[in-house]
Amino acid sequence: MTPATSEPQTPLLAVRGLGKQFEARDGRKSESWVLRDLSMAVVDGEFVTLVGPSGAGKSTLLNMIAQVDTPSAGEIMLRGQTLATGEHNKLNPGWNRQIGYVTQDDNLLPWRTLIDNVLFPFEVYGGVDAAAREKAEALMNAVGLTGFEHYHPHELSGGMRKRAALIRTLVYDPPVILMDEPFGAVDAQTRLQLQNDLLSLWRLGRKTIVFVTHDIGEAIALGDRVLVLSRAPAKIIGEHPIKIPRPRKIEDVFSLPEFPTLYATIRAQVG
Amino acid sequence: MSIQRIVDRILVGVILLALWQLTSLWIGFYWVSSPLQVAQRMVAWLSDGTLFTESGYTIGSALIGFTLGAVPGAVIPFLLRRRPVLAAILDPYLVAGYATPKLALTPLLIVWFGIGIWSKVALVASISFFLIFFNTQAGVRGISPQLIRMAEILGARETKVARLVVWPAALPYILAGVRVSLPFSISGTAIAEMLSANHGLGYLIQASAVSFDPTGSFTAIITLTAILTIVNILVNRSERRIFNWRPAAAAFGRPKGALG
Repeated sequence: MTPATSEPQTPLLAVRGLGKQFEARDGRKSESWVLRDLSMAVVDGEFVTLVGPSGAGKSTLLNMIAQVDTPSAGEIMLRGQTLATGEHNKLNPGWNRQIGYVTQDDNLLPWRTLIDNVLFPFEVYGGVDAAAREKAEALMNAVGLTGFEHYHPHELSGGMRKRAALIRTLVYDPPVILMDEPFGAVDAQTRLQLQNDLLSLWRLGRKTIVFVTHDIGEAIALGDRVLVLSRAPAKIIGEHPIKIPRPRKIEDVFSLPEFPTLYATIRAQVG
Repeated sequence: MSIQRIVDRILVGVILLALWQLTSLWIGFYWVSSPLQVAQRMVAWLSDGTLFTESGYTIGSALIGFTLGAVPGAVIPFLLRRRPVLAAILDPYLVAGYATPKLALTPLLIVWFGIGIWSKVALVASISFFLIFFNTQAGVRGISPQLIRMAEILGARETKVARLVVWPAALPYILAGVRVSLPFSISGTAIAEMLSANHGLGYLIQASAVSFDPTGSFTAIITLTAILTIVNILVNRSERRIFNWRPAAAAFGRPKGALG
């Protein structure tokens, strides 16, 4: 299945026939494709979640969209404009702040306090002004980090660092935000809290989000649409619109009557 | 520190000084001087300004040489960061330069730059350049590529990445280089002064020794030791101030957050 190519709205982000091949090296099979003929499209304001077995090239896909890795084939387009193709190899990470990326590791700068980490996107580009500070403070307040502005990352819990990393990307308003299992390494309780935080922040801003996870429950609870990736070479093998009304509460989603069927269908596809 | 510990420490000092005094009574002041004579000389050289002048020569040469070596040593790894080909070409020469025993260059440097401070400056510059260079390079190369990638995605261009990510990440390494090379600059100067000079603490040690004045040598050595101790304390202090963001050394495993 090639989903979303016939979307009525022009997609904000489109990926067509994308492929990634790693060169043969010692101990590796010759030139294996991690990803091949992968196509998907995301419309403005949509929250798309991607699930797939581990090693399916989920991170590779996001890296290519974020322009930190070069595709071997196909193309990536933002608002109809080509960002990257198999031939064109000049990388432009984040595409001039059009694409935000929240990675598995928080990647906070350890020598900066929390507030300085959140203001970092302004410091590297544009400058820190009163509006920037106000925005950073509002976001810190929204995720319960008020009072910890002047702590260094090592003094904070994993969940707090994840929140800081999340709002560091939200604070400069990139039109597309990629998230690569951002809530991976935290305990279940914190994870639930972080997922709810993300949903409430998203409701305020309505960003376009591509969220990668291997947790099917998380994919259903967060997304407008769940895309299923196959094993390598990865391509999209399933598309599931999630009709659960918003605003959602993650813990409520799990007890909805339609949840088990949805879960089972996707589970079967992930394999 | 407990009072008992302080008392014990002073006691050990007193015993050592007493042993020295006894040795000098036994073997003769002529050979090993004595604590009392050294104390008298210290007072004399402090009041006539000898120690200030000679320390000034040593510290001055060391600081000029250190600066001339350390600044390029800290800057060049940043320039080479995005030029891996050039870095690879230069690498064996830099390694050879690091391996060269710099003190062995002293006679040549004295021929080239004379017996004044400039031969010492040149020696110290060559010592501190390589120490700082390799430390800084280790820091620049050791930086997490993910942090750089993150900064680039946030819109940072090359100069911002260098200033806001690479520099703070490399700073601990640079300071580790300073901690080794700054005291070494001072002792290196003193050794060069012993070979050929007409000023400096090293010259004072050498000149006193050859004129059978161990008291003079000991006085200069003690002064040099005091200077090096002070430098070490200052470097450690500034290091602690700069790195107040770091977790207090975690004894076991990953440092756990205070709110963890």
